[in-house]
Formats: sequence, structure tokens, C-alpha cells
Amino acid sequence: MIDFEEELKKYEPAIEVEQAEADIKARDLTDLTDLLFNMTAQNNNGTK
Amino acid sequence: MQCFMCGAEVGDSNVCYNCGADILLYKQIVYTSYVFYNQGLEKAKVRDLSGAIEALKSSLQYYKYNTRARNLLGLCYYQTGEMVRALNEWVISKNLQEDNPDADRYLAEIESTPGLLPKVNSTIKKYNQAIEYCKSGSRDLAIIQLKKVISQNANFVKAHQLLALLYLEEGKFADARKLLNQAAKIDSNNTTTIKYIHEVKARLKDQNTGKRRKKNDTVSFVDGNDTVVMSEKSFRSMLDNSRSSLMNIILGLVIGMLICFFLVVPTVKDNAKDGNSNTILALNEALAESNSANESLQSDIEKLKTELSAYDDKQDVATSYDNLFAAQNYYNSGDSATASQYIQLVTKEVLGEQGQQAYDTLYTALSPAIIQGFFDDGNNFYSEENYESAITNFKTVVDIDENYGNGAALFLLGDCYRLTDQTDLALECFEKVVELYPSNKWGKQAKVYIAADDTKLDAKEVGE
Repeated sequence: MIDFEEELKKYEPAIEVEQAEADIKARDLTDLTDLLFNMTAQNNNGTK
Repeated sequence: MQCFMCGAEVGDSNVCYNCGADILLYKQIVYTSYVFYNQGLEKAKVRDLSGAIEALKSSLQYYKYNTRARNLLGLCYYQTGEMVRALNEWVISKNLQEDNPDADRYLAEIESTPGLLPKVNSTIKKYNQAIEYCKSGSRDLAIIQLKKVISQNANFVKAHQLLALLYLEEGKFADARKLLNQAAKIDSNNTTTIKYIHEVKARLKDQNTGKRRKKNDTVSFVDGNDTVVMSEKSFRSMLDNSRSSLMNIILGLVIGMLICFFLVVPTVKDNAKDGNSNTILALNEALAESNSANESLQSDIEKLKTELSAYDDKQDVATSYDNLFAAQNYYNSGDSATASQYIQLVTKEVLGEQGQQAYDTLYTALSPAIIQGFFDDGNNFYSEENYESAITNFKTVVDIDENYGNGAALFLLGDCYRLTDQTDLALECFEKVVELYPSNKWGKQAKVYIAADDTKLDAKEVGE
């Protein structure tokens, strides 16, 4: 049996057009290749 | 291929000879990103958009420069009605890779459609407003807003799901099911949609089971043309009541029969008697009327018979005219005796006006001959002692001209009466002869008969 109130909490407001730019700027675009780059860079610095 | 650390060309090597970076790991990460992209593409092709979105997001978490995955992610958002998310993905894709024809095309298409963005924004605002209404308990207002959202953006899956959730809560399972089916057509494998569909099915099943229970509690029976459906309790109480009612009905029937026997039957009999009397009177009246009508008809028949017999004695028109012409012809040829015979055969009444005039003219001309004929016949009958026929002829002569033969016809008529013992008529004729011709032989002889009452005159002596 679905709990209406609990289910309702899962619904979040959709992004409006005015908020699109802010959303893009707030987006964290870090991916695994970035992490690999950072890790490799740290290893290289530690070796030096 | 270039090294992700220093940018040196590494070829197929797994290690960068310039900086010593682990190229193999990098390659594995990029390869995994493309594996997720392929999964996302396969799911998008079968309209499993939410599954595709998850796979494409994973792909981009491995390798953000996978612009194909990002463009496809934007497209999936666009298909589920989330336009702003789609725009964001395409803008980011364009920023990460400038030479990006797919992103260019999508963005250009949206920009070239006038009024699309304001409309999308309005829809999103209404959707957000509906969420606020839901959270504040104003479900009716939320339903109204969501209906508007779906009418403006029919692919907005989340709006379908939220409205279906509200319908579920309101108990409108059929409406909820309809909306969820629409959402499933857009995004076939959306877990929220599937969960709600199961919920609707479960609640409908409960509802139907309840209805069946209620249905089993009812009793139906046919009353005439109507089917009566009533609850079992009501039916049982009705049966209990019906026992006492049955006794009342039987008692009522007995009383009704007694009333019928003592009151209704005598009245019916009286009415029947009255009815019979009235019928007899009516029949008598009808019989009397029939009799009178019958008498009237009989008198009519007699009258018509009389008229018919009168016509039988008369000649028809053609014969009368034939006789008239024959009489005229014989008269013209000088044979007045034959002409007089023919004219006596004519029936004047059947002739026309001209015919009657001709008849009168000819009859006047032939009168002497006619009278002479009657007189001669009378004399012949007199001589033959056929006095009855003689009387007929003499009477005809006297009726036409009582002076005929200077009283001879009148005297001979009286004498025929005398000889047939009709003394009164005879004396009447003799007295008239004496009155008209007292001095001729007919007058003198009449005086003799009157005075002496001598009736022994020889006929041969008198008739000439």
C-alpha cells in the first residue's frame, strides 16, 4: 500500500527556465577521468 | 590517442612514455562510459527512457566528454517532458565539445519554435504550483493544475504520475489507471509508474471483492415484469412478515367472498332482470315498428299493383299511335266505320299533347259513326236477347248523347232494364224519354209502360 504523504515527498519542483543557467553552473561535472588525473598528479608529486 | 596527463601522443601503448601516466586505466574508464552509452541507447530505442537516463548518467560519470551520451540524455529528458533538463544537457554538451552538430541541431530547433520556451516555463510553474498545493492539502486545486499541465505538455511523465497518485488517494482508480497507461506509453519501464499501476490493480481488486460480497448478500426475484433486488436481511424480514400477512390475506378473501355473495350477486341478478325486461320492451317496440312498416309496404305494394293493372289495361304508346294513324288513314279514305273501330283502341292518356289534339279532332269527326256503331251493336244484342251486352252499348250511346235517335237509345236502354227486371232504372229511362219526346213513338210507348206498367212489349216490334 502506497503512503501518499511519503510518496509526495519524492516529487521535487522541476527546474524553471530562469533557473537553467544557475543549474548548469551548480552542476558538478567531475568524472572518473578527473579523479584519475588528480590521483596520478598526486602520485607524481609524491614521487618527486 | 593522447595522454590524459601531459597530452603527449601515446599510440596503442598502455603507459605514457613522457610522464609515466597509466593510460590503460584511462582507456578502461572511457570504454566503460561507452558501454553505458550503448545500454542507454538500447533502452531509449525500446522507450525505457528512465532506464536510458540512468545508463547515460552513469556513462557521463565515467567520462564527461562522451557528448553522444549527453546529447542522448537531453533527448530522453525532452521525451519525458523535462525540457529545461534537456536544454541544460545540450548546452553543456556544446560547451564541452564545440564541434557538436547534434547539440547544435536540437538547440536551434527549440530556438526556432516561437513561444515554446514561455509555454514550457508556464507548464513547469503550474506543475511546481501543483506540488505546493498537494503539500498544503489542497488536492482539488492540485488536480486542476495538473490537468492543465498535461493538456499543455502531454509527455510530462511526472505530472501524469502525480495526478495518478492524487486520483489513487481520491479513490478514482479508473482515472488513475488511464493516466498511468498514458505515462507507460511515454516511458515504458518507469518504476514509479509500474508501482502505481500495481497499486491501482490491488485497490481495484479489493473494491471488486467487496462488491461481490455485497452482491452475495442480496436476494433477487422476479415480480411480474420487474426484477426485485433486495438485501438478504430485508428478504428474511419480509418472509417473516409475510406469514402474518398471509393470514390477513386469507381473512380478507373470505370477507370479500361473503360481500360478493350477499351484496354483489343479488345486485347483478336484478340488473340482469332489468336488462332482460328492457330487452323485451325494446324487441316489442321493434316488432311493432316492423309490423307498421310491413303494413305500409303492403299498402304500397297494393297501390303499385293497382297502378300496374291500370297500365295493363292500357295500350302502350306505340300501339296507341299506330291505332290513331290507322283511324286517321281510314277516315281520310272515307271508311268511317273502320276508323271509328281503330280510334276506340287508342288510349288517349298515353299520347303526347299533339297526339291528344289529333285524337280529339278525329274523335269529334268520328263521333256520329262511333255512336252509330254502339247503337247498332246494342240493337243486335237486343235482337239476340243479350240484354246485358245491349245495356252496355246503349248506355255508352246515352252517355255520349241521350237524345240520340230522338230518344230511341234512351228508350231501348230502359227497355233492356225492364226486361232484366231492373224496374227502377227502366222507369227512370222511360220518364226521361217522355220528358224529352212526349209525342213521338218512343215517348208514347214509354208513357204506356209507365201508366200501365206493361212490360210485355215485344222487342222485335220496337227495335229497328
